[in-house]
Amino acid sequence: MPVKLYALSTCPYCRMTRKYLDESGIEYDVTEVDLLEGQDRDDVVAEVRRVSGGASFPVVIIGEEVIVGFNKKRIKELLDL
Amino acid sequence: MSDVQSRGRRLFGPGTTVADLKAYMAPFVDRLGYKFNTEEAFVEEVLESELEILEETGDIYCPCRARTGDAKEDAKIVCPCIPFFRDQFAGLKKCWCGLFILEEIEDGGELLGVMEEPQGDVEVPAFLARDVAPGQIRHVKIGKRDVAVANVDGDFFALSNVCRHAFGPLGEGFMDEHVVMCPWHGWRYDVRDGTTDHPNADVRTYDVVVRDGAVFVVVGARAG
Repeated sequence: MPVKLYALSTCPYCRMTRKYLDESGIEYDVTEVDLLEGQDRDDVVAEVRRVSGGASFPVVIIGEEVIVGFNKKRIKELLDL
Repeated sequence: MSDVQSRGRRLFGPGTTVADLKAYMAPFVDRLGYKFNTEEAFVEEVLESELEILEETGDIYCPCRARTGDAKEDAKIVCPCIPFFRDQFAGLKKCWCGLFILEEIEDGGELLGVMEEPQGDVEVPAFLARDVAPGQIRHVKIGKRDVAVANVDGDFFALSNVCRHAFGPLGEGFMDEHVVMCPWHGWRYDVRDGTTDHPNADVRTYDVVVRDGAVFVVVGARAG
């Protein structure tokens, strides 16, 4: 199942999420939103708002599921870890 | 003169340290019913991130939320952002990033990574009991709700802040025993049950809990 992570480089939960996915051997695509600039950043923030209803991080997308925040339990369930 | 001024330099300028932020925030979040997370290493990590953001942007925005560029919107995510998200954070028992936890939580480490919000009612800390004297009433914003909390001889009552007549702010009204008088046109409401002497104009009330010196307003879980 494709896993997508929207993160901020400054956010401790985003780091925890990455660490958890890394340690679980999950391959995922990550975008660090605050490291983008200008239109790219605006576009990605708009996309995050569209899928998650806000601009709070991390946002983890597993298949069709959108998880806002580092919700280890939910990630575990969805990825069968 | 505050500690900050007596040191002869300004906070949120060059040289601001984690210790400065801690000293500045602690008395404020205390008044909101919160304290720093008991996980000290985590607190350091979050505040270090805020110092980086301060250097980049000039203010201590939440490290876990994106700024919009709209100054009014972005002001809601300057740390500590508890007053703008009282209902959500009371449900999580911590602020979004976990820097602050409810005063009564003993082990903040157990809350890290827990993002589940309760389904039922939530007790939301509004302010400390000592901050609203007997005979006083005060407005508090709880999520989208505007609530007025009154102290009647040491008993606290919560009702809608919005007068049904012309939307005057009851939290700025005048108290006389159990009755608040709207500051705009003098409509009266009984703070115990929200009733008024005008037809079809009662306001809703909320349960209140006072615990460990803090006043909590009980609200339904957030929609969605």
